[in-house]
Amino acid sequence: MMKYGQAFMVGLQSNLVYRWNFGVRSIFWFFHLAVVYILWGAAYTGNPLIGGYTFAQTLTYFLVIFVLQFFIGAFNEDYQISEDIRTGLINQFLLKPINYFAYRLSVFTAARVVSGAFGIAALVLALPLLRSHLDLPNEGWRLLLGIPAMFLTAIIQFSIAYCFGLLAFWFLEIQGFVILSMAVETLLGGQVVPLDLLPMKVFNVVRFLPFFYQAYFPAAIITGRQGIDFALQGLAIQSFWAIVLVCLAEFVWRRGLKHHTAAGG
Amino acid sequence: MNTLKRYTHIWLASARYSLVRATMFRGDLFIWASVELLWISVNVIMVGVIYSHTQTVAGWTMYQMLLLVGTSMLIQRFVMGFFWSGIFDMGRNVRSGLFDFVLAQPGDPLFMASTRKLELDGLLNSVVAGALVVYSVRKLGLHPGPLDIVLYALMVACGVMIHFSALVMATSLAFWITSAQGVEGIYFNLMEFSRIPREAFKGIASVAFVWVLPVVIVSNAPARQILYGFDPVWMAGLCAATAGWLALAVVVFRSGLKRYTSASS
Repeated sequence: MMKYGQAFMVGLQSNLVYRWNFGVRSIFWFFHLAVVYILWGAAYTGNPLIGGYTFAQTLTYFLVIFVLQFFIGAFNEDYQISEDIRTGLINQFLLKPINYFAYRLSVFTAARVVSGAFGIAALVLALPLLRSHLDLPNEGWRLLLGIPAMFLTAIIQFSIAYCFGLLAFWFLEIQGFVILSMAVETLLGGQVVPLDLLPMKVFNVVRFLPFFYQAYFPAAIITGRQGIDFALQGLAIQSFWAIVLVCLAEFVWRRGLKHHTAAGG
Repeated sequence: MNTLKRYTHIWLASARYSLVRATMFRGDLFIWASVELLWISVNVIMVGVIYSHTQTVAGWTMYQMLLLVGTSMLIQRFVMGFFWSGIFDMGRNVRSGLFDFVLAQPGDPLFMASTRKLELDGLLNSVVAGALVVYSVRKLGLHPGPLDIVLYALMVACGVMIHFSALVMATSLAFWITSAQGVEGIYFNLMEFSRIPREAFKGIASVAFVWVLPVVIVSNAPARQILYGFDPVWMAGLCAATAGWLALAVVVFRSGLKRYTSASS
């Protein structure tokens, strides 16, 4: 456990070196929020409710989605893993008593601590402007169920990124796959539109996919878009996907290693 | 005249090299073309979902909005096809010191860096974006004449140059902030505004994104040309913004270049 603690500390330090990246992402965040505010503000003009939700509820939903991404979203973990494989750095992990998944998860956690701090800073700056437009429910159970949902979301996000990174065992260039998956995740994760605005039939299919649990689900619990029954059912499905994806990550790792050639002296 | 001929030859040689390279890596081309297609689909689905809950957004109907989104995507696909790879590499090369190779070439560094690679996938998807524009025009029952189409093409070309300038300026930040990876992302964030009707921007947002940053008129001007016919005010505004932003991009790039310290020891 100590070694993963050390990996966390090293990850923390290396992410602080790249604090500019997170600073720049915080600026992106403001632009995203401005786009959401302007577009949805125009859509709500003359419509007090869209899909049964007020403008304040929809804006709150997107705000929570953005903040969650800072805390639990996988940014470039897939790229880092693929670089380890492509450059041969992975070899050093094969020679040491260290679990690569756990190592990468420690570094991911460290990165999210740093990006989460930037997310909070951006939120503190934005709150005076947004406070009057926000509508967050104050039921205690939402936080109680929202926290495990966020934890499982982080596991799902990381595992998917990990699996995509491991594709580098087979392919020289994986960025195409990563961005392809990002488009699917962005849409089916509810980052473009709240998924409850989709036609009910589509929504009932999407809710069984892992992408649903990558952003929409915890945000929907926290912002009051779904009730307690839905949240409990969702947590069960989310736990299933988290276990499946962690197992898939281990499976892909083992298959990838069989493919791997460690060259050099 | 000789200079123009020489640069045309250089560009044609780069284009030929890029096309040969793209046909060598056909799988890669297929994946990247799918990526671009998927992102266009994400935008179309977003419009579809919003309009399934409302009749108009800022006074624009669904097909008018699709025309706007199609125009915005068309401009962006051209930028991705003609300039993105070269400019993205520029940021990376400035950080790594490999930009020396561009400086050693017998031509203007900005031209050499930005036109080095042609991305076939972006250009292929400009056909899809164009098809979206044609589909929307048909659904709106519009019949633009040849002059309207020529003016639309001219405005799209102006849009491409404004996008190019924004991308160059965002990437040139690498000359000042070498530890900031992904600053090019600012461009993508800014361009999200180009898919929103101008009428949605009010107050400070109108000042910032319509008048100070020309991200809104880039797509709104050509779309309005098709929807409402020629408007000299929009045309003049777009041409002035193109000239101004191109000049500013060249100034920023050259100022940045003066700070470049090279990789040599």
